[in-house]
Amino acid sequence: MIEQDMRDTIICRCQDISLGEIMEAIDGGITDPEELKRFLHVGMGSCQGRTCGKLVTRILANVTGKSVYEIKQTSQRPPLVSVPMKEILGDNNE
Amino acid sequence: MNKNYDVIIIGGGVIGTSTGYYLSKSGMKVLLLEKDYLTAGSTGRCITGVRQQFSTPATIRTAMSAVKLFENMKDELGVDVEWTNSGYMFMAHDEAKVEAFKKNIEIQRKFGLDVSFITASEAKALVPHLDTDQLLGVAWCPSDGQASPFKVVLGYARGIRDNGGSIITRQEVTDIIVEDGHVKGVTTAAGVTYHSSRVINCAGPWAREVGLMAGIDLQVEPERHEALITDGVQYENMPMLVDYRADGGYFVQRVTGQFIGCFTPEVQVPGKDKSSTLEFMKEMSRRMCKIVPALENVAILRQWAGSYCMTPDGSPIVDETPVKGLYCSVGMSGHGFMLGPALGKFLAEYIVDGTWPFDMSEFAYGRKFGDKEAMA
Ligand SMILES: Cc1cc2nc3c(=O)[nH]c(=O)nc-3n(C[C@H](O)[C@H](O)[C@H](O)COP(=O)(O)OP(=O)(O)OC[C@H]3O[C@@H](n4cnc5c(N)ncnc54)[C@H](O)[C@@H]3O)c2cc1C
Ligand code: FES
Repeated sequence: MIEQDMRDTIICRCQDISLGEIMEAIDGGITDPEELKRFLHVGMGSCQGRTCGKLVTRILANVTGKSVYEIKQTSQRPPLVSVPMKEILGDNNE
Repeated sequence: MNKNYDVIIIGGGVIGTSTGYYLSKSGMKVLLLEKDYLTAGSTGRCITGVRQQFSTPATIRTAMSAVKLFENMKDELGVDVEWTNSGYMFMAHDEAKVEAFKKNIEIQRKFGLDVSFITASEAKALVPHLDTDQLLGVAWCPSDGQASPFKVVLGYARGIRDNGGSIITRQEVTDIIVEDGHVKGVTTAAGVTYHSSRVINCAGPWAREVGLMAGIDLQVEPERHEALITDGVQYENMPMLVDYRADGGYFVQRVTGQFIGCFTPEVQVPGKDKSSTLEFMKEMSRRMCKIVPALENVAILRQWAGSYCMTPDGSPIVDETPVKGLYCSVGMSGHGFMLGPALGKFLAEYIVDGTWPFDMSEFAYGRKFGDKEAMA
């Protein structure tokens, strides 16, 4: 179980979202990983969930009593890493 | 389990949740069924813009009512929906646009909207990063704005549950039960039947398929649109910039400092394909940097695609259908998010009291599809 004194632990560093905030959302009925992502913006920061994604899956598994393999992974969107527009334009601007 | 409801709503986007919220608030027992997750459709894919600059009376008045609702949403729903009056600028690069925008402004002002046509240098004073090359002026409405579609849906969904309603996600409606021209309920892919004498089709790009389940052939088609969002940079209160030129686009800076935007392809792409393309990312970057050159240093974080639900005239269909008790609130084109709160409230009031707040015949089922909304 998740201890009270761990609630301030930051799970999503990019978006500054703590374990407590995630637990609160789950308690409020948001147990679908896709909804958790969108309603809390956990995993929508600059690393696109590469750091926090696995942690969130484990929290959901822990709370819902499912195995991590049963928790659906959220959709991944391009680009893989953020690219400055000037680099994108580099190859079609000349 | 008792499977009787006062009203069943099909679709968990902004339209379904706002309509459900207002119906539950009036005391109805609401069931909302969503085949995926809340915001899975167009709503979670929109670029957050809320404007009142339209060309037809019902759309202008609906949008103005919606802005009032966005302004009070934090109090109404107890969720901060990130509403911000960042304004909308429609850019005119030729005389025809100048004339068209001025004509629309005249109509909008009749309804009390604070909107004006300002010069390129006035626009530049408001948005110092704006490229004003060939810009003749902009239609500027400072009370237009932006909000988070996720937070709006979250707020309405919580409201439905707090008012005693139910929301079931990952439950696809596969059939609508009709007897003697009256709706009786729906059946889901899981084989469950839910009963109600009122069903509302709020299925966005899937509205046609859902209508056909009751034998109602709605004149709506999905149309594919791509979008992207950048990393966050310092927030400078930049309005939504709308460039309607063939190689234009529209984008806004979110309160998070991120820029979010899209463009309408010259040749419309039918369908609901959700894949994103490298061509779009390149082309959108080029268009954004043309309008705001300083953006070349900003990085693209994420891109995606979604669909508009289009009617022939670009205005929604919000009405009862010929099947008694079966309503639809569909065909939201590129402005369902901004109109959503007001349309939800209006349709709920119509279902409860039988009255619209003003003449809504522009959105009637079975109307003749005439001229297109000029600012669609
Ligand atoms: C790229 C892009 C940018 C946009 N930008 C803006 C903008 O800035 N401002 C604006 O106002 N609008 C914008 N729009 C348009 C706006 O997103 C839509 O008009 C609006 O979200 C429509 O909401 P909806 O609730 O009708 O549909 P949706 O959000 O699509 O909701 C319909 C829901 O119904 C569900 N569903 C479908 N069939 C079934 C079934 N059989 N059983 C159960 N559930 C079902 C779907 O899964 C979906 O979740 C944009 C759209 C796109 C694609
Ligand atoms: S840590 Fe969550 S998005 Fe980067």
